[in-house]
Amino acid sequence: MACFERASPALKEILLKIYRAERPAEFDHQMHEFGSVQYHVKCSASDPHQTYLSISMPLLSQGLQFTTRLPNHTLDMVKGICPDVVEIIEPPKDGYQLTLRLNFARIPHGKVSTKIITEISSVQAVILSSQLKEMLRNVDSQEISQGMYKAIKLIYHPGEPFYVIKQPAKITAVFPMRFKENTDVIIATAFFQELVVVGSTGACAKAPHCIWSPIPPPELRGEPIEDLSTNGGFVSFDITSRHVEGKKLDKTVWNLLNFYTFVKYHVKSTRGFIHRRMRMRLGNLIEILQNAGIEEEQIKTKVQGFKYVRKLARFSKPKIVKRRCNFSKKLKRIRSRLKIHGFSRFRRQWLTMPKFSSVTKYTKYKTKVK
Amino acid sequence: MANTSRLYLTCIRNTLEAAMCLQNFPCQEVERHNKPEVELKTSPELLLNPVLICRNEAEKCLIDSSINSLRISLKVKQADELENILTKKFLRFLSMRAEAFQVLRRKPVQGYDISFLVTNYHCEEMQKHKLIDFIVQFMEDIDKEISELKLSVNTRGRLVATEFLKQFI
Repeated sequence: MACFERASPALKEILLKIYRAERPAEFDHQMHEFGSVQYHVKCSASDPHQTYLSISMPLLSQGLQFTTRLPNHTLDMVKGICPDVVEIIEPPKDGYQLTLRLNFARIPHGKVSTKIITEISSVQAVILSSQLKEMLRNVDSQEISQGMYKAIKLIYHPGEPFYVIKQPAKITAVFPMRFKENTDVIIATAFFQELVVVGSTGACAKAPHCIWSPIPPPELRGEPIEDLSTNGGFVSFDITSRHVEGKKLDKTVWNLLNFYTFVKYHVKSTRGFIHRRMRMRLGNLIEILQNAGIEEEQIKTKVQGFKYVRKLARFSKPKIVKRRCNFSKKLKRIRSRLKIHGFSRFRRQWLTMPKFSSVTKYTKYKTKVK
Repeated sequence: MANTSRLYLTCIRNTLEAAMCLQNFPCQEVERHNKPEVELKTSPELLLNPVLICRNEAEKCLIDSSINSLRISLKVKQADELENILTKKFLRFLSMRAEAFQVLRRKPVQGYDISFLVTNYHCEEMQKHKLIDFIVQFMEDIDKEISELKLSVNTRGRLVATEFLKQFI
């Protein structure tokens, strides 16, 4: 499951390690994230302030301009992360789409440094969201061209594609929802139904109009059947110009890109919640059955017995002595053996153990004291 | 006890009170063995007529009794898909921990969601009326828990949906 943070936690950790290194050291890290994003971080001991970060990732959309080189607006956005520190190297390293030179010497000390490195670590999110941003920016344009209503397939996380369809005065984002387990499907369906209900209420009237349908919407007609076969239905959001004004654009893009992750996180936490509730109820049910035991009743009678003893303490002394006497007589009667005529003689004759003189033991002779 | 299910539960309670007169009875087939006759069904003379108490098609209780054991099978109502998975999950969760309940059967009888097996030994170890109380309470609790869980899942969904949509505003 992808994480909600824009910055890659692993990349952030490596960059912080390089930045905080007391002695110049050689770093050459290669790592993969979410199964498809690849990073290469290189730093030489001879030039510790210059770190090279190369990144390769699947393209958000196969149908648009993304070929081998990133578009200019994406590069501009990458440059904008921290212009003093980040520099784009042309051409990028072989096998990667982008190579950045990071000058750590220019990063100011203190808490700001962590913030800047966190921003650099979010380069993948910046690149991927830039294309969707560009599409959403033109939401209000009235130009009508051929193939305008054609759905564009976007892949943010592998195996979780979604579609963006440009329509007059709005852009519709359609998410085909797939889940591995039937339980997940039902929990998610309940969530989608709530999403539709909440979206139509007054509190969220300004939010994008949301629709959930178990069958593919008509806009996706003509798409490959394997992309349209889902078990969780289709969720659509209508994005209008209101949702992409100023700073809202960034939030809208991020929410759309992470909708899958958001739903999966909700399903997972709901399952955990159900399990917690079941565990709690199990304890209560076991307690009821334990109380049904006969031992419980016996404990209660014992408690009553203690009360009786407490009552005894209030009696006069002769009475207590008399009762004690009776009690000891009862005990003697209980402990007394059964008497069988002639058994004692039989026991003496046959059941007595013969005395042996041990080799290891010695007999102490009594000496007469004069 | 909810008014709607009172009659159903009272009927089950009365039937259980009548059926739970179990005694020790050795197996007639295998020497020195003592087995629950309701499960083996080797000797028809040791079995009593099963009693089926139905509230509706989706909610019923089957009480199979024999000389030394009693089997209670329950079918819990499942109004929709969410209730269905919640019931299945919860009853499976309980069945997996059957050893904690002593009287719970690991596998329910076919066509039912959960089954109990009460033997004469259970009746000797536990008080009969409390055992009946437990079964009735169990039925009430399951219904209540499923309804509460469903409500909680929907409430959680609504809260999460509100938070998600608020981010766009």
